[in-house]
Amino acid sequence: MTTTLADAGTRRGDRAGAGDGSPAPAGPPRRRRGPNGTQWAAVGFAAPLLTYLAVFYAYPLLRNLDLSTHDYTIRAFVTGDAEFVGLDNYVDVVSSPLFGTALANTAIFTLGSIAVQFTLGLALAVFFRSSFRLSGLLRALFLVPWLLPLIVSASTWSWMLNSENGIVNSVLGAFGVGQVNWLTSPDTALLSVTIANIWLGIPFNLVILYSGLQNIPDEVYEASSLDGAGPWRQFWSITFPLLRPVSAITLLLGLIYTLKVVDVIWIMTTGGPGDATTTLAVWSYSEAFGTGRPDFSPAAAVGNVLILIALVCGLLHIQLQRRQEA
Amino acid sequence: MPAQRSWWRTGLGLLFTAIMLFPVYWMVNVSLTQTGDLRSSPPHWAPWAPTLEGYRAVLANQLPALGTSLVIGLGTVLLTVVIAAPAGYALALLNLRGGRALNFLLIVAQMIPAVVMAMGFYAIYVRLGLLNTLPGLIIADSTIAVPFGVLLYTAFMAGIPRELLQAARVDGAGAWRTFVSVVLPVSRNSTITVSLFAFLWAWSDFIFASTLNRNGDLIPITLGIYQYIGNNTTQWNAIMATAVVASVPAAVLLVLAQRYVAAGVTAGSVK
Amino acid sequence: MISSTRKPALAAAAGLLSIGLLAGCSGGSTDGGGEAASGTYTWWDPYPQHESGSDWANRVEACGTEAGVEIQRTAYDTTALTNQALLAAQEGSSPDVILLDNPAVSTLAEAGILSTVDELGLDVSEVDENLLAAGQLEGDTFGIPIGANTLALYYNTAVLEAAGVDPASVTDWASLTAALEAIDASGARGITFAGIGTEEGSFQFLPWFWGAGADLDELDSPEAVAALTLWKDWVDRGLAPNTVINNSQNTTWEEFLTGDFGFVENGTWQVNSAAEAGFETGYVEIPAESGGVAPAPTGGEFIVAPVQDDDARYDVTREIVECMTTPEGFVETANTFAYYVPPTEEGQEALVEERPDLETWVSAVREAKGRTSDDLGTDYPVVSEALWTAVQRALSGIASPQEALEAAQDQVESELG
Repeated sequence: MTTTLADAGTRRGDRAGAGDGSPAPAGPPRRRRGPNGTQWAAVGFAAPLLTYLAVFYAYPLLRNLDLSTHDYTIRAFVTGDAEFVGLDNYVDVVSSPLFGTALANTAIFTLGSIAVQFTLGLALAVFFRSSFRLSGLLRALFLVPWLLPLIVSASTWSWMLNSENGIVNSVLGAFGVGQVNWLTSPDTALLSVTIANIWLGIPFNLVILYSGLQNIPDEVYEASSLDGAGPWRQFWSITFPLLRPVSAITLLLGLIYTLKVVDVIWIMTTGGPGDATTTLAVWSYSEAFGTGRPDFSPAAAVGNVLILIALVCGLLHIQLQRRQEA
Repeated sequence: MPAQRSWWRTGLGLLFTAIMLFPVYWMVNVSLTQTGDLRSSPPHWAPWAPTLEGYRAVLANQLPALGTSLVIGLGTVLLTVVIAAPAGYALALLNLRGGRALNFLLIVAQMIPAVVMAMGFYAIYVRLGLLNTLPGLIIADSTIAVPFGVLLYTAFMAGIPRELLQAARVDGAGAWRTFVSVVLPVSRNSTITVSLFAFLWAWSDFIFASTLNRNGDLIPITLGIYQYIGNNTTQWNAIMATAVVASVPAAVLLVLAQRYVAAGVTAGSVK
Repeated sequence: MISSTRKPALAAAAGLLSIGLLAGCSGGSTDGGGEAASGTYTWWDPYPQHESGSDWANRVEACGTEAGVEIQRTAYDTTALTNQALLAAQEGSSPDVILLDNPAVSTLAEAGILSTVDELGLDVSEVDENLLAAGQLEGDTFGIPIGANTLALYYNTAVLEAAGVDPASVTDWASLTAALEAIDASGARGITFAGIGTEEGSFQFLPWFWGAGADLDELDSPEAVAALTLWKDWVDRGLAPNTVINNSQNTTWEEFLTGDFGFVENGTWQVNSAAEAGFETGYVEIPAESGGVAPAPTGGEFIVAPVQDDDARYDVTREIVECMTTPEGFVETANTFAYYVPPTEEGQEALVEERPDLETWVSAVREAKGRTSDDLGTDYPVVSEALWTAVQRALSGIASPQEALEAAQDQVESELG
């Protein structure tokens, strides 16, 4: 505390007049509802973001809605005049035999991924919390999976999990386990892509949870040790509850990012064998780019269903947050 | 006692890191393997007859692409921070009306699949003439990081103690001055984190580069890799070698950034 | 006050960025192909492995110089090319020339973005019928094949010798399976192929499918079931490895190069690689079920010219296309890629004269069949997807070959009506 006050003190002598003409004079201490000047300043600061959102996010989203509510044959895609079919594409998608499978696969893939990613990320964050020799370096190295282009990491996992010449089967074989057809058997294909996705997701969880942990002051832990609490107790009574807001946002973002995952699954199994690893995102991609005949409208419809699901989760998150704050 | 405990932890840490990085080791292994040995069964833990042809190809061709990726990464970082930091400030400390809704919109923005974004961008860029330009790709890559950046900044800046801001206000500082002199320096930790994410996401982006920057003279490394994927044949050791060579400078940057984060924890963060 | 450590970092970043921007803006920007008679013509092809300075790139450049213009070439990976072409057409910025995988030609033609050979004033009378068929839709021809390739069975001489198998004895399915059994008994692996869930999987399955006498408009015929049962049998008995379910053609070739396999189903494009392999190789044509050569699908790209707003550009485009499609041009293409058989008789004879060892391939191509022929056109992609899905499901045990193919036929019928 003293450091920061001292900084403020030195800045006191550094007056250079008010900022860029924003009219708020010294006056009474800042209340919740600032004067209009603050609102204008707020809008000014947020303006780049607002324009940015409008141009770069709204447009693709609207375009996607347009694609999904018209019947875009390839010719119509090029010329731009497509027949309006309302919700027909959505009806086709939901009543398709593939929908149930895709939905189930998406649920298993997503929930499985974030549950394990989060747990491992949290465990590692707690582990790294107490600085030891090389902890900074090792923590940085944990982010290396993120550096690799997806084609490289997904292909590497594909190689490692190859039924006949993969290193994983080779090691398992040394322990007497028979050949597991990781990527080619409908029983294990989804598990395999989930494992690869978890590997890719740990760095993200680690970084966020680690910085969340940094915000819990040491004094709390010291006080509880003095009271005789062991590490487990400390984790459940202090760490976990205090991390709740950070955990919530990590899980939500993890969910949203995992719902969108296409590359990993596509490179490892192209959604196969059959449709054992076809999630909603993979289905959407495969409709648009996976066959010789691009079907943009159904792809857009599936994409929008995906966004809807993410939206519902987002709303749930907000609800939970409100309840927490209340 | 503490020294002993520290070494035990270090040992465990090394073990975890080794397990986590095993696929990266495998990648290096493949990068040194001849094409004829790629699919040997049982697989070779280390290349028996290593070849440097992959690396030769990379060093001969891919260095410009590496440089381009670096420029794009840094550009994305700059753009992301420039947009996200003020927005976070507005949301957290200036009580922007409709802040809740904006927060929600930001989460929604991240739900849009990359392919949808890329196709939309293509249409916009053709009209704006931004196709096959680096600034265009930088803007596209920043869309991956900006919403997240704003969320991060908002969360962090909301935790800045009011005393600091009041002190600045008492000095006669307006919103802008407070932002530059007080909020930004104190948020260094967040800035580093956001920069890290933005850089990594831009570095490994493929879909935007592929759709929007194919014809450019300067292409990022993720596209450069595709040079080794012909229409019927693929040169895997070159692909993996490219990834290895590309990871080295980025990994160095990562280690440096982590040091700042570690330093920033005590000096720059808010207690 | 920005802290002292950030200022130089920011300055450095800004400096790098401005250099990058300058470089990017000056070197990177390009326009589409729509301007009147300018000196630059855009060319897209799916050969990123031939970068600038390679024989192929120089050849393309030379054709441009001959026509008096500069050609700006961009290489895409073949899976992205169709969609990129559609996107570009949507925005009115189509390139002038595209080299496109032959099954995709009818897709782009249906989209209305390709010009016919008549519009361009090109003469295609010399081109072999079976090869031209892929580029024809409703009586119009939309491009010229720059060469064709097809599939055959390569074998590892040493492995076959050790198993006591004579390659000449492989004349039908029964003898092939017997050969595989002998190879398996001798300790090596029998055969490998690509059954991946993409067009490549269908491509590799078609010789067996057609070799059994099945037709693409009836996916669940008894002949089709026989073909799929053949593959499934091999996988179940270990004569083919389990990896075939996920193998691309490239992966399959890599497996063969380890020297552990007796046979591999692959294409003419591996001729050079086979010659450089660490062991002696040979090839036989894929046998049909009860003898004879199985019709194999044609691979290879077509040279097509997208529709442009400015008609004046077509004159130069025609010159460029003609430059690529002279008999000498065809042979040069064949040599550059070492696997494309010229699509005209004249070109084929010239090639065989130069390289007599390619005689077998030439005759294989003459027997080959286009995937989109038989009037399938743009229906082919739908059929193909159903077919590769059925293959995947049968090989991985999700369904029996009969069930899988019946489901595939249902899928096709419900989608195509």
